[in-house]
Amino acid sequence: MANAFSRIGDWFNERAPGLMPAYRKHMTEYYAPKNFNLWYYFGSLALLVLVNQIVTGIFLTMNYKTSAAEAFNSVEYIMRDVEWGWLIRYMHSTGASLFFVVVFLHMFRGIMYGSFKKPRELVWILGMLIFLVLMAEAFMGYVLPWGNMSFWGAKVIISLFGTIPFIGSTLVEWIMGDFLPADATLNRFFALHVIALPLVLLLLVVLHLFALHEVGSNNPDGVDVKHGPKGNRWNPEKPIDAIPFHPYYTVKDLFGVGFFITIAAFIIFFAPTFGGWFLEHDNFTPANNLVTPSHIKPSWYFTPFYAILRMIPSFFGTAIWGVIGMFGAILLLALLPWIDKGEVRSVRFRGLGFRIALGVLVFSFLALGMVGAGVTSELIPAWFPGADVTTWENAFGRLMVLGYFGFFVFVWIYTRFGFEKTKPVPERVTMHD
Amino acid sequence: MIKRYLSSLALALGLAAVVAPAFAEEGESLPSAGTNVADQASLQRGAKLFFNYCVGCHSLKYVRYSRMASDLGLSEEEVMTNLNFTGAKFGEPVISHMPEASAKAWFGKAPPDLSLEARAKGVDFIFNYLNAFYLDPTRPVGWNNTVFPNASMPNPLWELQGLQVAVHGAAKPGEEAAVEKLTIAQPGRMTPEQFRGATRDLTAFLEYAAEPAALERRSVGIWVILFLAGLTFLLYLLKHEYWKDVHDSH
Amino acid sequence: MANEEVVDHGRRRFLTATTAVVGGAGVIAAVVPFIKSWEPSARAKAAGAPVTVDISAIEAGQKVTFAWRSLPVFVVNRTTDQLAQLKGLDPRLLDPSSSDTGQQPKYATNPTRSIKPEWLVVIGLCTHLGCVPDFVPDIKPEPFDANWKGGFFCPCHKSRYDLAGRVFSGVPAPKNLAVPPYHFIDDSHIQIGVDPKEAG
Repeated sequence: MANAFSRIGDWFNERAPGLMPAYRKHMTEYYAPKNFNLWYYFGSLALLVLVNQIVTGIFLTMNYKTSAAEAFNSVEYIMRDVEWGWLIRYMHSTGASLFFVVVFLHMFRGIMYGSFKKPRELVWILGMLIFLVLMAEAFMGYVLPWGNMSFWGAKVIISLFGTIPFIGSTLVEWIMGDFLPADATLNRFFALHVIALPLVLLLLVVLHLFALHEVGSNNPDGVDVKHGPKGNRWNPEKPIDAIPFHPYYTVKDLFGVGFFITIAAFIIFFAPTFGGWFLEHDNFTPANNLVTPSHIKPSWYFTPFYAILRMIPSFFGTAIWGVIGMFGAILLLALLPWIDKGEVRSVRFRGLGFRIALGVLVFSFLALGMVGAGVTSELIPAWFPGADVTTWENAFGRLMVLGYFGFFVFVWIYTRFGFEKTKPVPERVTMHD
Repeated sequence: MIKRYLSSLALALGLAAVVAPAFAEEGESLPSAGTNVADQASLQRGAKLFFNYCVGCHSLKYVRYSRMASDLGLSEEEVMTNLNFTGAKFGEPVISHMPEASAKAWFGKAPPDLSLEARAKGVDFIFNYLNAFYLDPTRPVGWNNTVFPNASMPNPLWELQGLQVAVHGAAKPGEEAAVEKLTIAQPGRMTPEQFRGATRDLTAFLEYAAEPAALERRSVGIWVILFLAGLTFLLYLLKHEYWKDVHDSH
Repeated sequence: MANEEVVDHGRRRFLTATTAVVGGAGVIAAVVPFIKSWEPSARAKAAGAPVTVDISAIEAGQKVTFAWRSLPVFVVNRTTDQLAQLKGLDPRLLDPSSSDTGQQPKYATNPTRSIKPEWLVVIGLCTHLGCVPDFVPDIKPEPFDANWKGGFFCPCHKSRYDLAGRVFSGVPAPKNLAVPPYHFIDDSHIQIGVDPKEAG
């Protein structure tokens, strides 16, 4: 047996001599800092969810019908008539939401430990591109079931482009291929959702990983293990505080995968709609171009950005400011490596100002999510009976918009003009467990 | 360490279990329907009510008689003789034989398909709606509803519930008086308690119709979770074993 | 740095193997729903339910095609003349006595391959590659067979069958045309998809 395996191995080595070195470079001889904590599970989990989306997505296309007349029925056909179709569909819909959970946490990790800073700016930029493509992918996928939320979600999001001066209304019609979201819109979104965007996404993910493996992983201490002492038990040339990715991080990530899938399975089998957050009630009604759902709001993962859009009023006769604000919120994140001039990476050794600002960023982001999802408009009357909901919601929402953008302004001033008082960064990584 | 991981798994699952239903209560809260789709007898009673009082106008176009029979523990013969009055084949979906045109003429719009009603509106809405009809001569069909004001449907279950009327509060100037409560003016064949039970069964049946997979999903899910918890534990042991190298090499 | 002896290789191998086996079983279990999703759906099964057809309008010597499970089912009202030809064809056929039990139910394992002699009910798909054969009923020389006694001729690869759906020797098709389960409800109605005793 062993002999047969090694002969197969030799056969490949002779014909593709680059394979083994590539495997070694990215797995057994990719040395990662040994002090990764909980926050470092989310990268591999994102990859896992991506694979899940692709596999379940392929199986969904086998029964989904791309037409405005049949799409809704075909989804119910999958849910009822196709053997195990409900499981495949719930895996895909739950996966979509968990993708964003994992990606948000992954991004927060990057900001918290300064993983976006030099020399990892390219990793960060590629990651932000992945995030953008993922949002487009999620939006178009959301349209496909052609429920009433799909329809009006498509209508509202496409209308954002209508705010662009001069070309707006032409652009909107061009995107829809009709005067309202219609069969043509559904068909082009399907094409983009199942093939075009996934291809881009996969390419970006590969580049993201390659870019990372060129410079090596950051860690919770933000210490450059490459510049520290050399010589670990596996290799005398490699950093003392690094360990081979395989087997140590593969087994660790596998444990994370087990934990994550258990939670995902709980949602899939016991709360697939997640109380209307992962699959919305109004989307169980077929698309109706005459009736807008009473609680029209985007999927939860768009709500923070949607809230920024809603909270910025239109002036000078155009609504484009909200749109600029919404895309600006993402653009500023992408520019973080150049906004944050601080030398110290990890929040563990950064100044108090940064820590507070990071807290404000997270709080405003979550609060904006609540505003966008309409939670605040329900909580305000419950907590403060008699209060004017719109006034208070706008006041709160705008404060949170300030909090979100304030983070970037503050961090730039704080680090550019030397206000930050950092703690000494240790020579070597610390390990807590 | 191991306790930490196990307790965090338990915590996460517990949190999900608490958070999911908490978030379920979106929108205005109505008294709970208290349905149980796992209760087959309740579903059977609900199906009987549906096919006696609802299917005249409302279809369940995504529900096949055959699937319903096996999920509700009914035989083909029972379904075809007791529930299927439209002459549809056993494998066909439940389609009302009311012509759409006359439906529009009678009610102003075609009665909606109810296959997904429980998912679109929620079981609490359906249950409370069915209990909230009252006589209102100002409406075209003579009925109104406190849960869904100005609904175009008359009370289909009035023979069971009896005739309910509204008790109005004091009218504010320039406004119509609000409905304070509903009382039974003329009793029906059921006591109020029996009627709530019947509408609960009917709601449970519609909940089943909205997601037949719910029955299978829960029974499979338990085993999946148990398996995954075991696998995660094994993976934890494996990780722990390998990471001895790392913890030793300070 | 630790020395290698600290590592318990036995335990490590055991854990790796156990996790691989349990995880592998999990992966296989997860694959099953995806494979099963390709099985005929509830809709396909419902559409494949037995169909009842009215045969009273089929005249002697005529063929009508009905759909059952989306398959073409030929129902032929054979004349006595046509039936008389069947016996004489036996030497030229591959399986004249219908010995392949997979191609017809027991009640159609007879010289006419039918319940009632005149009524032939067969699935109209050539057993070679599944084309629909032409119905060529007349007893007269044909370009493909100078001694033609009536039957079915497949345009795809020239397989020939007689009027009992029995395949000729020396053609590509390996088997007789299949007879579906069916029974007579009354003289003018047959139900395709249900055996006589099931319906009983």
